[in-house]
Amino acid sequence: MIGSQGRTCKLLCTRKPFALLLSVFVFFLMGFTSVHAAESHSEDNVKDFDAGKVIIDHILDSYDWHIADYGDKHLSIPLPVILNYKGEWYFFLSSKFHHGHDAYKDFRIAKEGPKKGKIIKVLDDGVTPDPEAAFLLDLSITKNVFSLIIASILLSVLLISVGRNYSHCGFKRAPRGISAFLEPLILFVRDDIARAAIPENKVDRFLPYLLTLFFFIFFNNLLGLVPFFPGGANVTGNISITLTLAGFTFFMLHFSANKEYWKHIFNTPGVPVWLKLPIPLMPIIEIVGVFIKPIVLTLRLFANISAGHMIILGFVSLIFVMGSSNHIAGFAIAPLSVIFVIFMNFLELLVAFIQAYVFTFFSAIFFGMAVPQEHH
Amino acid sequence: MELVTPGIGLIFWMTLSFGIVLYVLGKFAWKPILSTIKERESYIANSIRHSKKIHRELEELDATKEKMLQQTRNKADEMLKQAKAGGEDIIQKAHQQARKEADQIIESAKNSILAERKAAEREIRQQIVRLSIDVAQKVIREEFKDVEKKNQYINKLLEDIQLN
Repeated sequence: MIGSQGRTCKLLCTRKPFALLLSVFVFFLMGFTSVHAAESHSEDNVKDFDAGKVIIDHILDSYDWHIADYGDKHLSIPLPVILNYKGEWYFFLSSKFHHGHDAYKDFRIAKEGPKKGKIIKVLDDGVTPDPEAAFLLDLSITKNVFSLIIASILLSVLLISVGRNYSHCGFKRAPRGISAFLEPLILFVRDDIARAAIPENKVDRFLPYLLTLFFFIFFNNLLGLVPFFPGGANVTGNISITLTLAGFTFFMLHFSANKEYWKHIFNTPGVPVWLKLPIPLMPIIEIVGVFIKPIVLTLRLFANISAGHMIILGFVSLIFVMGSSNHIAGFAIAPLSVIFVIFMNFLELLVAFIQAYVFTFFSAIFFGMAVPQEHH
Repeated sequence: MELVTPGIGLIFWMTLSFGIVLYVLGKFAWKPILSTIKERESYIANSIRHSKKIHRELEELDATKEKMLQQTRNKADEMLKQAKAGGEDIIQKAHQQARKEADQIIESAKNSILAERKAAEREIRQQIVRLSIDVAQKVIREEFKDVEKKNQYINKLLEDIQLN
């Protein structure tokens, strides 16, 4: 009986979760790219290389996933567009826009104006923005959403397989393989982030959230550094993503906050009365602080990751900027650029970890403030 | 500006996917992993405590063993000493006994020698007396073969007696 159990355990422990992950990658690559690979495209051949546009286009979200150009053919994955206009739902693939050149069902991607790059309602001519357009709810699966979904699936598969290993093989087996890589990180989050910032008896409540946060950010940061599909999307460098993460922290914080926390905000102890009455100076500062915390979280992650992507792309673009004026200059600058890009990539690996750590650590500190020990 | 403008769609999908990931990982990944790690930690802590206890017990056992060994050694020493003393005593006693017996033997030998000598002396004396008597007889007989002489001697003897 024991022998058979040991065999099952061994079988499960040696199973490679990465084989599954790899097949998922390959599936996505094959399934999407081949269909639309031959989509031809006529654009006025712009000789000048606009580095700023390339970089900003990369940093921003888009409705299709551009993979490569071959001659004047664009290799890209069309993604589903989901719109709700005046209570009516519209579902279609972004390939209907022909890379933003055409309108479809009176919707098109704005080329300029405050909504540049987003889908807007246009008039029948297919160009002029509708001046009386109502609110357009855009729930499209954009590049970032798609990358987010892939990352979420990969992360879940990876961590659940690790979790299964743990529950099947018990605590007497030393972690091996991917578990051996992940366990130090898990212990790092638990011991150096959660336990360092949150009172001992409250740690277990926040630990799953902090672990998910850390691995989610870390994984997406790393995936963003992979230059080709399915990496390369600027997920954690998008303000909507970081804002949502900060929002999760914000709501978790205020739903679990105890009396001490609210007392600290509205009637800060240890502060002279004239700071609270008649002008509630301290409460105002504290309330502003409540909202500044998630904003700071949002901006720090967004700015760090975006900046890293921009610098790497800047160095890559340098080759083409030089090359567009003179081929020899392009080849001459290339080695230098590559060296800088390699250096930046190593730096970004570090930043990927540090930013995940910082976001998680600050969340933990805020939780620690929300549930202070009853006595001071 | 578009760089820092959050989009509703992305926020919606992000909330949805992160929420699902949070739930799924919390249930299927962190729970088993954290509980296993905790179990292992408590197991290790217990093992360390246990080994410390065993170590202490071993030390105690060692001390007891040492003490017992010392006691045994002392006892053996004592017994050896006693045995030695007892042996010497026995030897001494045996010596004395032997000497006594030897003395007795010598004594009895002396006595018997003395008795033998006396017997031999008596024998010799008897022999001498008998021989003397025999010699005397022969001499007398020889002397008195001649009657003249015999008379003469008797006369002399008579004379001596009268003189007395």
